[in-house]
Amino acid sequence: MATGLTEFLDNFVKNHDNRQLLAIPLAVLALSLAVLLVSFASSGSPVTLGMEFQGGTQISVETTNSPATLEEMYSSYPISDARQTGSRVIMQFGIMDNEEQRQLEEDVMSRYSSVEIKQIGPVYGRELQVQALQALFISFIGMSIVVFLIFRSVVPSFAVVFSALSDIIIASAFMRVAGIELSLGTIAALLMLIGYSVDSDILLTNRVLKRRGTLEEKVSRAMQTGITMTTTTLAALVVMYLVSTFPYLIIPSFTGIALLSQISSVLIVGLLADIMNTWLLNTGILRWHVMKPEFRGRYNR
Amino acid sequence: MSDKKSLFKNVRVIIFILALLASIVLIQPGYTSGEGATTNLNYGLDLEGGSWLQIKLQGALVQVDADPGMIVSQMVEPVIGAPIQITSNNLEASGVSSSEKSITFTTSVPVSATQLELMELGTVSVDRLNQNTTQVTLTTSKESLIQAYLSQAFDAEVLPISTEDGIVYEIRTEASEEELEALMEKVGGTILRNEDGTSTYQEGVSTDTRDLTRDILNDKLNSLGLKDIPVRTVGEDYILIDFAGIDLATAKDIAEKPGKFEIRIQTTGNETQHVLYGESIVSVGIPTYHDNQWHTPFTLNEEGARTLQKVAIETGATDNPDAHYLNMYLDENKIYGAPLSYSAASRLKETPIYSWEASTGSDEAAKIEAETLQIHLRAGALPVNVVLVGSGHVDATLGEQFKTEAVVAGFISLLAVAAVVFYRYRRPEILVPMVGTSISEVIMILGVAAAIGWQLDLAAIAGIIAAIGTGIDHLVIITDEVLYEGKLPPTKVFLSRIGKAFAIIFGAAATTIIAMSPLVVMGFGTLKGFAITTIIGVFIGVVLARPVYGVVIKELLEKDGNGTSESEGLTE
Repeated sequence: MATGLTEFLDNFVKNHDNRQLLAIPLAVLALSLAVLLVSFASSGSPVTLGMEFQGGTQISVETTNSPATLEEMYSSYPISDARQTGSRVIMQFGIMDNEEQRQLEEDVMSRYSSVEIKQIGPVYGRELQVQALQALFISFIGMSIVVFLIFRSVVPSFAVVFSALSDIIIASAFMRVAGIELSLGTIAALLMLIGYSVDSDILLTNRVLKRRGTLEEKVSRAMQTGITMTTTTLAALVVMYLVSTFPYLIIPSFTGIALLSQISSVLIVGLLADIMNTWLLNTGILRWHVMKPEFRGRYNR
Repeated sequence: MSDKKSLFKNVRVIIFILALLASIVLIQPGYTSGEGATTNLNYGLDLEGGSWLQIKLQGALVQVDADPGMIVSQMVEPVIGAPIQITSNNLEASGVSSSEKSITFTTSVPVSATQLELMELGTVSVDRLNQNTTQVTLTTSKESLIQAYLSQAFDAEVLPISTEDGIVYEIRTEASEEELEALMEKVGGTILRNEDGTSTYQEGVSTDTRDLTRDILNDKLNSLGLKDIPVRTVGEDYILIDFAGIDLATAKDIAEKPGKFEIRIQTTGNETQHVLYGESIVSVGIPTYHDNQWHTPFTLNEEGARTLQKVAIETGATDNPDAHYLNMYLDENKIYGAPLSYSAASRLKETPIYSWEASTGSDEAAKIEAETLQIHLRAGALPVNVVLVGSGHVDATLGEQFKTEAVVAGFISLLAVAAVVFYRYRRPEILVPMVGTSISEVIMILGVAAAIGWQLDLAAIAGIIAAIGTGIDHLVIITDEVLYEGKLPPTKVFLSRIGKAFAIIFGAAATTIIAMSPLVVMGFGTLKGFAITTIIGVFIGVVLARPVYGVVIKELLEKDGNGTSESEGLTE
C-alpha cells in the first residue's frame, strides 16, 4: 500500500507544477472552511459541542433494549438523544437539578449493568470550552515558534505551520460532517494531530533545505520515508478504531470505548489530510520557494 | 568491532538496558492463579470502576468601601424599628487607636445591647439619655462593619483578608458583582477598582480557603475508612474527588452533604434544648480504647464550654445526669446520645469542662461508631458553599472490559504497524529492533507511571499510543537516513547520517512536547493525564530508546553483510 501510494504521489508531484499541486489541498481547505463557516453561521459554533462543553448528562448502559425503548422509558427526564453503539445505548440528557439527577442515576443503576455516567454542569462546561480552545491555540502557537526556530527561514516554516493548520481545519470539518462532537477526547486528537502532522513536514523541509542532491530526488526520498511514517501510524489507528468501535467482532461481550473511537477516527482523517497537505501543499510551497532565482539552484544540486 | 561485545559496551545501550530492567522491576508483572496477571500499576477510575465528583467552591473576593454610618443605619433601623441619628464617628479619623474607634448614634426607642451584639457590629454600650433618647456607642472598626453588613446580606461567612493592596473581603457563598454593587450602593459605598481601572471583584475563594476545604474533605473521606480517596484541587476553585470502587450515589452521599452538627440536651421527657453547634468544637482526637470503652475525644472552645455548663446546670443534668441525655445531631438526625458521667456532672457544677470524651461501647460496632463520630465532629461543616459541577461513574465490570480492550487494541495495533514495516523493508533485521524498541518504550513509560504512582486511565493510554506513534515515525526516519543509498554506509558516514536523523527527530519531538505542554500547565481533568503521558513517552523515546535503535540496527545490518539486501522497498 505504502509503496503504491508513494509511487503514485511521487509521479503526481513530478508531473505537475506548483500551482497544480497547491490547487487540490487549497480546494479541500476552502471546502472545509466553508463547512465550518456555515455551521458557525447556523449554530453559533463551527463544530458540534459535546456534552462536556455544554453541560448535561451522558449515560451509557449495556442493554438489548432499543434506543427508542430507552428514550420512551426515560421520557420524564430531559432526554435529548439515545444512540446505539454495539451492545450499548448512549443516552444524552439535558441539565437537571441534583434531586432529579440522583433519581435518574439510581434508576439506571438498578436496571442496567456496565453503566457509565458522565455529568458536567453548564458553567463548568463553558469554562472547559474556553480552556480547551486556549490550549489548542497556545499549542499551535508554541508549535509554530519551534518550527521557526528550527528552520529560521520564513517561507519554509510558514509552509509547515500552514499545512498543520490545514490538517486541523480539515479534521474539524470532517467532525462536523460526520457528526463527531467536540469532546475532551477529540480535543486531544486535534492536539495529537499537531504533533503527528509536523513530523513529516519537518522531515521534508529538513531534507530539502539541508541536504545535497537534486530537488526532485530529495522530495521523492523524503516522500518514501514520510509515507511510511504516516502509513504505520494510520495502520495502528485503523486497528484502534476498529477495536474500540466494534470490539464485539472480536469478543462478543465487549463494548466500545467511545474515547478511543473518537480519538482514532479524528486522527485517521487528520492524517489522510496530512498526506495531502505535506506532499502537495507543503511540497508545492517549498519547491516554489527554493527554485526562486535568488537561490541560484542552491537547493538543487 | 561489530561483534556482540562492542554493542554491550556502548554506554547508551547499557543505560537503556538498565532503564528497561528497572521499569520491569517497578511494574512488577506477576501471575497469581486467583487474580490472573498482576502488576504494580495504578489504574484510573475509568479502568478500575468507581466514580468521581467535581465540586466548585462558591465565593467572591472583593475590595469595597462604604459609609460606616449608613451601614449602621441600614442594619440597626430594621431591628429596633425606628430611625437613628449618627452623632459621632471617628472610624475613619487618623491617629485614633483601634480601642477608641467608635461610632455613636441616638434613637427615640429603647434599645437592648444584646439585640445589637447579636449582629456582630462590635462592642455595644447603651445609655438612656432621657425619656425619648437612647444613645448607643459601638466600639468597632470600618472593616468589622462592612464584614457584618456583607455577612448579613449574603447570610454567609465573610472573611476580611489583609493584603498589600488593602483589605479583601472573602464572601463564602455565591455573590455576583451586580448584587454586590447594589448592596454597596445602599450604604454609600462601591466596589473598589484596581490601579488599572479594572474591578477588584473576583469570583472564587482564596487559595487558603480552597486548600482548607480540600483538607477537611480529605479528612472526612479518609477517616471514614475510605483509604486513598484522592481529593485534589483543580484550577482555581475546583476540587476533584475520586472514589475508586464506590458507586456514584454512595459517593454523593459521602461527599455532598457537609452536614450541620448540633448538641442538644434532654430537658423533660422527649423535649430537648439547644446547647451548641459544630463551630464550638475546636479539635477532635482519634478514637481511643480505655476503661473497656471506645471514646472519641473532642475539645470545646471557651464559649461552648461555658454554654454547656450553664445549660447543664439549668436543666438539672448535673444533679440527675441519667434523665438528661446529651444528644448529638447531624443534619437533624440523632447520631449519638449519652448521659453525662457522674464525675463530669459533679465537676461541671464547679467549672466549665473543655475536654470531653464521647464513649460508644466496647464492641467492634462501638469502634466504628467512635470513628464515624470523629468525622462528624471534625467535619461538621465545610468553610464555604459548594456546588457539584461534574460527576462520573464507571461500573467495575465495564472498567475491566476497557482495560482488556485497550490491551487488545494496543497489541493488534502493534501487529499492524509491524506488518506495514515489514511490507516496506522486508527485512527482519529492521523489523525486530523496530518493534522491540517500541515495546521497550511502552515498558519504560509504564515503569515511570509505576514509579511516580501515576494513574493510568483511558486518556493516559491514548497518550501512550500517541508517543508510540511518533516513536515509530522516528524509527522510520532513522532507518531511512541510515540506508539512504539503500545500503549501510561506512561508519563515519553512518555517524553523520544518524546525526542528521536526530536533527529531524529532536525537532519533531520538541514540537510535540511544546504542543502538549499547555495542557499540563492549564491542567483540566482528563487531558492533563494525556499530555503528561505523551510528554514522558516522547522524552523517553528520544533520550533513551531511539539512540539505541540506531546502534542496534547498525550492528544487525553489518552482520547481515553490509545491508546489501535485494529489496529496500525504495522505488525509483
